Amino acid sequence: MNRLPLPLRVSANAGASLVLAFLVLPILAVVPASFNKASFIYLPPRAWSGVWYERFLADPEWRTSLINSVEVATLATVIAVTLGTLAAIGLRRIDGRWRTLVTGLFLAPMIVPVIVTAVALYRSALDVGLSGTILGMSLGHAILALPFVVINVGIALRAVDDNWLRAAAGLGAGPWRIFRDVTLPNITPGIVGGAIFAFITSFDEVIIAVFMAGYASKTLPVKIWESIRLEFTPVIAVAATVMIALAIVLFALAQIFSRKTGSPSR
Amino acid sequence: MSRRHVETACLLGPALVVLALLFVVPLARLFSLAFTDPAGPFATFGVLAESAVYRQVMWNTFVVAVIVTALCVLLAWPVAYVLSRLEGVWFGLALYGVLFPFWISVLVRTFSWMLLLERNGPINRLLMATGITEASLALLFNNVGVLVGMIHVLLPYMILPLYGAMVRIDRRLLLASDGLGASLADTFRRIYLPLCVPGLAGGATFVFLLSLGFFITPALLGGSNAITLSMLIASFVNDRLAWSLAAAGSLALLAIVLVLMALTARLLPIERGLFAR
Repeated sequence: MNRLPLPLRVSANAGASLVLAFLVLPILAVVPASFNKASFIYLPPRAWSGVWYERFLADPEWRTSLINSVEVATLATVIAVTLGTLAAIGLRRIDGRWRTLVTGLFLAPMIVPVIVTAVALYRSALDVGLSGTILGMSLGHAILALPFVVINVGIALRAVDDNWLRAAAGLGAGPWRIFRDVTLPNITPGIVGGAIFAFITSFDEVIIAVFMAGYASKTLPVKIWESIRLEFTPVIAVAATVMIALAIVLFALAQIFSRKTGSPSR
Repeated sequence: MSRRHVETACLLGPALVVLALLFVVPLARLFSLAFTDPAGPFATFGVLAESAVYRQVMWNTFVVAVIVTALCVLLAWPVAYVLSRLEGVWFGLALYGVLFPFWISVLVRTFSWMLLLERNGPINRLLMATGITEASLALLFNNVGVLVGMIHVLLPYMILPLYGAMVRIDRRLLLASDGLGASLADTFRRIYLPLCVPGLAGGATFVFLLSLGFFITPALLGGSNAITLSMLIASFVNDRLAWSLAAAGSLALLAIVLVLMALTARLLPIERGLFAR
């Protein structure tokens, strides 16, 4: 069975190509839809124009939602990267049972269904007055992003030899100096990779945002979510294209950085 | 405590405190609401279990998750196999095809499917133009749309662990089996398939668990007769302000997820399944 018989090999390749096409091509359907001239969505468009892009930029609600998204994602990234990097370094210093337990706790937000996390966060946010605020959404997204940072920085840390740290300590460097001059330069690609994941996790997140968003703090996905249910115009396709464009840029950045560390990409 | 212990506590402390305050405590507070119904501490679970409507929702959630998982296994198989045999540029290209969708928001992908599956959308027009169907089909706002959308989102979670298992298989085992006179089908059944099982089990568990809690895709592509547990939980909160029922539903969902995870963790190390992403 080193080589499958020809008919089987051909059908495996054909099947794989079809499935890959199914994975990639439908995503791009929103791009032509966004350049539609008509006031309703029709694929492929019969007449092309950029009028809905102008509409998107001119509408204060869409503009605000884009700015909100960037704010929320930036804040969530800063929180998740700071806490996650420290935690990943800390995890290396404990072993056995404790390490398993603490790692499990850090990964838990990936395992609990997001709808459950969202309802729980919404309830507590209502009680402490964080509901409807940028900060509330950022904190919720930071929790979802934390596992990605812990995993990425953890992988990068494998390249840091404990002997280097001992050597630095032996030469008289304090903990902060060791971190700054030995650990940090070696894990920077991992931190950047984690930051990119964290940013896109928050920027794309809908469920927590839908529950937490207030009238003035809608993120772009929340605005898309509401518009799909209310009006269904080509402006939504524009917003979706903006999200795809950003994702492609971040995807490319992550590929460059993962090549530097050799850490697996998402 | 030694100085090293203090340092370690300072490194892990902030993340643990934030995780406790923003994740563990809110979850515990939500779940405690499930037991606050005036009719008794377990009344909410009784309501969920006894109502025909809610039972139908649970059944629908389960059926959708089973079908999605089965179809994902079927569709992932050729992709994972071809990935495990490809090299160089073609491998890179195919792998990007699997990884790229991860980066695109589930909301955007779901919206794309709404455009494609519409009554008057390109897929329906293609089906009619080629004479496969007479009239346009209802592909949206029912379980067909939900299945298509969910498979599209969850398929990479199946492909990657399966590929991970296939690529680790020692080709010499297959040669040996072949050399000893086993037929292709026998080699597949007795050597190849058993070696794929860890990846298969890991991927299938992941897909199944994610399906159970899926929200965005069923909420947008599903109809009023294709409600899933996550939609029910959201409607308890948003439409009915029935927090104790939402809490009971959430607790039930999480309990099912954790039990299934514990069961598969006995089959394979869960961490490997997670890191295979």
